[in-house]
Amino acid sequence: MIEAAQQTRADPSPPAVPELPDLPRRSSRIAELWRFRQLVAVLVVRELKVRYKRSVLGLLWTMLNPLLLMVVYAVVFTTILPAAQPNFSIFLLAGLLPWLYFSTSLMQGLMSVLSNQELVRKIRLPQAVFPLSVVGSNLVNFTLSLLPLFVIMAALRQPFTLALAFLPAAALVLTLFCAGVTLLFATATVFFRDVRHLTEVLLQMLLYLSPVLYDLRQLGEHRTWWFHLFRLELRLNPLSYLIPLVRDPVYYGRLPSLTTLAVASLWAAGALLVGFAAFTRLEPRHIHHL
Amino acid sequence: MRNGQISLWDMGIGYRIYREKVSTLKEAVVSRFRHLRTAERFWALRHVSLQIAPGEAIALVGHNGSGKSTLLKTIAGVLAPSEGAVATQGRISPMIELGAGFDAELSGRDNIFLNGALLGFSRKQMEAKFQRIVDFSELGDFIDLPVKNYSSGMYARLGFAIAQDVDPDILIIDEVLAVGDERFQEKCKRRIQEFRTAGVTFVFVSHSLPIARELCPRAAVLHHGRLAFDGPTDAAWERYRELERGPTPGPVLQA
Repeated sequence: MIEAAQQTRADPSPPAVPELPDLPRRSSRIAELWRFRQLVAVLVVRELKVRYKRSVLGLLWTMLNPLLLMVVYAVVFTTILPAAQPNFSIFLLAGLLPWLYFSTSLMQGLMSVLSNQELVRKIRLPQAVFPLSVVGSNLVNFTLSLLPLFVIMAALRQPFTLALAFLPAAALVLTLFCAGVTLLFATATVFFRDVRHLTEVLLQMLLYLSPVLYDLRQLGEHRTWWFHLFRLELRLNPLSYLIPLVRDPVYYGRLPSLTTLAVASLWAAGALLVGFAAFTRLEPRHIHHL
Repeated sequence: MRNGQISLWDMGIGYRIYREKVSTLKEAVVSRFRHLRTAERFWALRHVSLQIAPGEAIALVGHNGSGKSTLLKTIAGVLAPSEGAVATQGRISPMIELGAGFDAELSGRDNIFLNGALLGFSRKQMEAKFQRIVDFSELGDFIDLPVKNYSSGMYARLGFAIAQDVDPDILIIDEVLAVGDERFQEKCKRRIQEFRTAGVTFVFVSHSLPIARELCPRAAVLHHGRLAFDGPTDAAWERYRELERGPTPGPVLQA
């Protein structure tokens, strides 16, 4: 029966008190995340279940969404650009699928800590599971949407080459990149809600500033300063290297160049490193800003 | 440190409070410097030192806003201390609120696995526990219904059934026994007694002297974020009543 305030004054370090522990290191953060890897899987399944609950077509929407976009773009572009590429719809789809994977992961993922705040407030867990599970569920969507792509390829007699075996590796690099960017934007959104609206606008711009609906080869040559700026932007844009990882095997039937793969992998590793470091560093402060 | 040990060293949880919460970029930029100078800290808890030995049961008592829930969340690892330190050893069953983390759209069955994953259990481990949890919750066939259709009693029963089966070293419970019918409350109390005899450390926020006395020989009184008393439950309750009657100082604000 001791008043705590007096106790601390009279005896600042009682003998029974264990020593102060070390602060958790980054490696322990990774270990903790690894311990919760099954939670990521459970959250992915929940996300898919809840998203398509009570919709008649369910998972089919995953495949319909890029197809409908493709049809619109294909009709518009082949009408206004007479010299469009052969099998233009496959060209479009091969660019749209990785783009949609990236942009949807990012838009959904940046809200994921906020939308799971009930859990964050009550249960101790590595919060990175939320953005990562969004990326995971979009990876499932991306993989599923390859099926209609293959159907269309068969229908349009687009050759299936061995280069298609590269797609899993492409998906891996793409996933690492999406995870890194989504982690970074998810933690930023906790502190500044504007990030969401800003990202929305930026993504709309980025769609046209990245080689999604066109190819770098079609760029040509102009002698204007803004063209040089545009080309510089395309050179610095990670999507210029990430999109071809999918499009080269699907549309051109060949492996992406070694340079493309190397730059894309570097971007992915860098994004993941920065995203994870920023997220885990700011994670303890999230709860005060929810 | 043995499993079940909870240690707090001069621990404080402080919130920066601004006149208006900054949550847009513009506000942050516009008022960044002013806020840096005048940011006040509200201490939800300060200078709290507690050593809870493995197997001990302690009740936390205090008025609304005294910092009880903040302390529970800190022990559970949900909140990180702003100053001082917290250390816990062993697996914590951090049920701050029963059924925290349930997804209303999912069935009771899916929620058992979801909750298990939230606590860091694998699907395999949860499959081994599944039948025991269902039996304990007495939900029977309702287990396949979405939990949004559950009554609050059924909800709490499932929550407690999961929390009691995680084989914890430390059990943290806030307002457990307030829900469910009397018979289920008895069952919960028996289960908690079993944990006590098994040597599980037990931290418990209480609003009722009889239940606190029954479960915990020791109680800590929190008053405006300070530890006002730490000792036998009956004496703690007296101190709590005394503080309730006395003049209450405003919250501790420091520049």
